[in-house]
Formats: sequence, structure tokens, C-alpha cells
Amino acid sequence: MFTNGSKYYLGLSVVSAIVGVAYMVLVNPNDLGALALFVLATAAGTVAGFSLFIRDGEVATAAEAIEAARRAPGASIWPIVTALGAATVLVGLATVPAWFIIGIAVFCAGGLEWMIQGWAERASADERWNEEVRTRIIGGLEFPGLAAVVLVLIAYAFSRIMLNASKNGATVIFMIVATVVLIIGSLVAVRPGFRGRSLATVVTAGSVVLLVAGVASAFAGEREELTKAAKEDHFSAEHRECGPEKSKYWDKHANNTVSLRSAVIATVTVENGEVYAQAVGLQTKVGSISVPRSNPVALMFRNKDEKEYRLTVNLGTQEVAQTGVKEEKKDCTQLTGKNQEQILLLKITKPAENPDEPYTLTVPGLKGEIKVIVP
Amino acid sequence: MRNNRIFRRLAPIPALVAAALLTGCARNAPQDTFVPKGPNAEKIDNLQNIVFPMAGIVGVIVLVLAGYIFVKFKDKGQPIPSQAHGKPVVEITLTVIPALILTVVGVFTFRGVFDLAETRDTELIINVTGQQWWWEYDYPAQEKYGITQPIITSGQLVIPEKTKVLLRETSRDVIHSYWIPALNGKKDAVPGRIHLLRLEADQPGLYAGQCTEFCGLSHANMRMEAVALSEADFAKWVANQQRAYAPPASGLAKEGETVFLNQCVRCHQVNGLKKTDGTPAIAQPEQNVYSGAAPNLSHLMSRNTFAGAMFDLVTEKCRKDIWGASSAEFGATYLEGVTEDCLNQNDLRAWLRNAPAMKPMYADPTKLGASGGKYRGMPNLGLTEDDIDKLVAYLLTLK
Repeated sequence: MFTNGSKYYLGLSVVSAIVGVAYMVLVNPNDLGALALFVLATAAGTVAGFSLFIRDGEVATAAEAIEAARRAPGASIWPIVTALGAATVLVGLATVPAWFIIGIAVFCAGGLEWMIQGWAERASADERWNEEVRTRIIGGLEFPGLAAVVLVLIAYAFSRIMLNASKNGATVIFMIVATVVLIIGSLVAVRPGFRGRSLATVVTAGSVVLLVAGVASAFAGEREELTKAAKEDHFSAEHRECGPEKSKYWDKHANNTVSLRSAVIATVTVENGEVYAQAVGLQTKVGSISVPRSNPVALMFRNKDEKEYRLTVNLGTQEVAQTGVKEEKKDCTQLTGKNQEQILLLKITKPAENPDEPYTLTVPGLKGEIKVIVP
Repeated sequence: MRNNRIFRRLAPIPALVAAALLTGCARNAPQDTFVPKGPNAEKIDNLQNIVFPMAGIVGVIVLVLAGYIFVKFKDKGQPIPSQAHGKPVVEITLTVIPALILTVVGVFTFRGVFDLAETRDTELIINVTGQQWWWEYDYPAQEKYGITQPIITSGQLVIPEKTKVLLRETSRDVIHSYWIPALNGKKDAVPGRIHLLRLEADQPGLYAGQCTEFCGLSHANMRMEAVALSEADFAKWVANQQRAYAPPASGLAKEGETVFLNQCVRCHQVNGLKKTDGTPAIAQPEQNVYSGAAPNLSHLMSRNTFAGAMFDLVTEKCRKDIWGASSAEFGATYLEGVTEDCLNQNDLRAWLRNAPAMKPMYADPTKLGASGGKYRGMPNLGLTEDDIDKLVAYLLTLK
């Protein structure tokens, strides 16, 4: 039952597993050594399974082996794919890391396919059986893999088109694409005759159009306001704009994200020229807000007045790179119009060291301050 | 003869059922979910009292029927019975009965969920922050309770009795879950989010809890205790927590303060403690600890536990006195704090000697690439016995 090759690999697998357990008990259960031994056990077990399945690649008779070896290798696309993967790896090394990862994936996929095909062509003298055994080994991976690649390409191409088109144009494109998909789906449902070659032609043509438009859009770049918003770098940590408003193109709806709103610890409201705070959970107004040390929390700033205001957190002063020069350390929201809200994220690592410089929240242009206390 | 054989085969079943039932028995079970001690836990208990029997009856019926079918129709070589499809009466009955059961369960469950989520009548808020492997409690300023400056503590959550307390939970590192079974259900503490949990205790006393979301190596040692005090006793506790720091005048405790300034203040804050130059001693746990926080030790000896409530600060006898005190006497007993006679010197000294040996922690930063070389838990500081004597004397002054 067990072939010579499978016996060897099975033995290696079992011994590795036993040594792995011993290593965990005697040396260190969290060490990489144990992990390496279990990986070896798994890999050897897999190879043992292969060996059993293909009977160590041995054909039944010498004559059969000669016949199988005599046949010239069939035409194959996989060497090209593997070479393409290797080239992409090199390009990725010199340019963008993403290409390196894509190259590795293509190289591995191409190499695996090439290896399986090469082995299957010589598995026996029976070509039909060879084809069958190749399909049994790799067929289950080929279609899902191909489908995943096509889906990624389509999603990527579609996203490039949507980012390139104007806001209104993107809406129209989305409606058209959705309508076309609905019509094709309905046709498939009600007209059985539409399913064969006609459907394949339509889907192929649609995919080609989508890919061409996607590539063209990727080269054309994103629409103007997105490019300008990226240049503003509004949401970066270095972005400080507590003075006059300069940013124009930033995403003004970013504050509505659920993750930000779920961390609100207090709201600060401007109403009839008064600034007041309410801690989440209490209905009363409070003069101070307690912020846990070293943990990010969000403050909700709500403006109910006509004039635009921003919320500023004053975190004392700090020395500029051991120059002796001190600068104010503060952060703020953008200007907020009537009945609008903005989130101010705070992460304070320690209490105010100088009693004369307590942490406070203020709204420039209005009187009053709210203390921020880090216990 | 055949009956005897069946009887012999079924004989172990009552024993197994009895054994299963016995596992539910315990003499000292402070985390019993079926003994509510507050209105929120009471609501959950009321719901359990409806749902568990219904689920139990359905479960028993299903299991008995399945067992009967396995025995009755097991393959003995008999011909396959005729197959029947489409019995509208049976199908409708078997759809309607579960639907009715689920409707009843759903009505009570939804009502309970909305009741437990009510926060509009909150009287006291407390920020609860979880980190590996302890809980921090900070009380924002609230004039109604005399809290003029935020109070920060850990291990024991102190609340006034018969008061609607709202916990605002979050986490500094991984997901934890806060659960005092006698006072309410559990609620996850998630980094970057603030979750609300209402607690209310009917009477003064100690209520035990446990982190219920696996959070790493010492998850099982991440405990907590809620301490309910009468309104008057809570006011005393607040006043004590807001009392200014009183440095030891001289002696061993004064030397212990110096050791604390040299060693412990890198991570642990004691509010009001000053360096030798007179400037405030501000701890910088963010530079040493992965979560960015270590327990604030102000008024440490007003608590009964330390190290994530894993160890008692008081001896076993004193602990029994506190846990066993009547409701009327509990406040006074608890507020007495840790006296020199009651101090659990063994565990405290062992902790100071080598904390990682007492509680599993990732306290060796050289093996912590993923945390940027920062500790998860307290490391072995290599203190001498002399230092430990001084530190214990100093910590005893933090009433």
C-alpha cells in the first residue's frame, strides 16, 4: 500500500511532529523552533500524500515508462506565466512593493501549474488518464483562482473609472452599469436560449470594455478635487490648521464614520454664544472633561449658531527640538457651520505637568473654557 | 431477560445526569449568575427564568425523540419504509409552534435589551478602561457626589448603593469584557470604542467579577470587584480619594518614597508626589508599557486588592471580616482600609520581589518585538530586600 517515497516522508512527518512536541515541552512552547518543526511535519505529510497518490511517479512497466518518456512535452502557457512572474518580481524590487507581491503570486502560480503539467504528461502512457489526474490535482484550484483574479481586475478597473469620472458622471455610470447588469440577468432568467454562446459573448465584450476603460482611467488619474484633496493631506497627523481655513477639498463627511462616533466621550456645543460640554451619559453641563491617559477618545463639536466656529484643544507648550524656543501645542477641528458637527480626536499621554498650563478646550472668538483633565 | 439487558445499558444515564446536575452546586459562588443583587441583573434573571425552562423543555423533547428514533429505527436489515412527502398539517404545526415560542421569547428579550440599554436617568458616570491585565476606573468631576477633581483607581470599582451608575468602557490594547454577574450582564471593552454598561447595587457589599473576553496570557487573572457603599460612606470614600498627598515625614517610609521615585514612578503615578526638586513626579507609562498605562497607586491602601485584583492587599482573616460584614457594618469595615495588621505582606513582598513569577505576563521586552520592546505587565525590577522593606512601609502610607 505504502510506496517507498511515501514511507520516507511519512516517517519524516511523524518524527518532526514528535520532536516538535518535545521541543515545546522541553525548550519553549512559544519559540519559532517548534513552529518550524510543525511546518516541516505538515509539509512532509503533504508530500507523503502526493507520493501515495501518484505511486512515487512510477509507471507500471518499463515499456510504459519508455513510452511515457518518449512523448514530447505538450504546448504550455505556464513557462511564459512563470517568466512574467519573475520579471514582475524584479520590477517590484526596483519600484513598488505591491508589484513584488503580485510577481511572487504569479511566479508561484505559474510554477505550480508548470510542475503539475510536466509531471502529469509523464504520469503514464495513457494520455487520457494523464489529463484526468492533472485535473484532479489542480482543477479544483484553477477555476476559483481564475475567478478571483478576474473579479479583482474588474473591481479595480471599475473603481478607476468611478474615481476618474466627475461626481455626477460617476452617478450616471453607476446607474447605467446597474441597469445593464439587471437587463442581462433578466434575459438569462427568462430566455434560456440566451445562456450559451450569446451570454459568453456579451460578458466577454463587457469585461473587455470595462478593462480598457479602467486602464485608460488609471492613466488619466483621479478627478481634480480628489487630487487636490490628497495634496491638502487634511487628515495627516502633521496637518495643523487651527488658524484661518485653508483646506477646501477635504472629505467633509469623514466625521460621520461609525468608528469615530462610537468613541465619543463628550460633546462640546456652541449655542447662543455660550460654550458648554456634556459628558456622554449625563444630561447636565460639565466644566471639565476627564480623558483616560494614552487612549484615543473623540469629542463631538456641535455648532448651533449662525457664525462658523472651531473647537481647539490647548495642550500647553512644548520646546522645539531642544532650541529653548517654546511653541503652543494645540489641535482643532475645521470651521464648523450652523447645525454642523465635527469630531476632534484626542490622545493625551500624561497629565498637565505645569499647573499654570492646564489642558483646556476653547472656541476661538467666544469666551469660556472647559478643562481637560487626564487623571 | 431482554428488559434486564436494556436496564443494564440505561443504568449509567441517571448517574451521568446526577453528575451533570452536581456540577452546578457550589457553597461559595460569588459570580453566580442566578443570584442577582441589583435591578439590572434582576431583569436578566427574570428573562432567564422564562427562556431557560422553555429552551430546556424543547431541548429534552428533541433529545428524547432523537434517542428514541436512533434506537427504534436502527438498521437491523429491515426493508426501507415507504417514503412520504407533503403532510400540510404536520408541516404547519411544526412551523407555528416554534414561531410562537420564539415570539414569546423575542418579546421578553427585546423588552429586556431595551430596558438594560436605558441611560437617560444615569446618576453617576465612571470611565472604565481595560488593559492587559487590569481595569482602571476614573471618576470624572461630578458635583452631585462631591467629586471636584477626577478620581482614579483600579481593581475595585466603588459605587454608591441604589444609584444608577453608568460605566463608559473602553480598552487600551485588546478586547476585554467587563462582567459583575450580580449587578448586570457583560459588555465588551473595545479599543477605539466607548460602550455603555449600567450597574446598580441594591445594598452595600462586595460583588466579584471576571474579564470574560480572552485577552492574552493572564486573562484568567484579570479580575475585578465592585464595592457598593451607602451614600454617606460613598461620600467618605470620595473625600478620602480627593485628600491631598501627604508625604511621609521620616523613617523607613520616607526612604521608601525615594525608592518609589527612583523605580516605580517610571510607570506608576501617585497624585501629588513630588520629585526632590519640587516638581511633580509624572509617570510615563507610555514609554515603558505597551498599553500606555499602569495602575495609579494614589490611596492604594484604600483598596483591598492589587495586580488586577488577583491578590488581596489584606490578610485572609481581614478579608473574611470584610466579605462577611453585614450590610450595615460593611461600609465602616471597608473604609477602614488596609491597616498594618491587616496588610498581606507575603503577597505584596513577593510581588515586589518578582512580579512575573506571581502572575504570567510578557515582562521581558527583549522577547517582545511585536510590542516595540515595551512591557505587558510588571517586570522584575531586581529590588533588594532592603528596598522592599522601604517600599512596603511607604505604600502603607498611601491611605
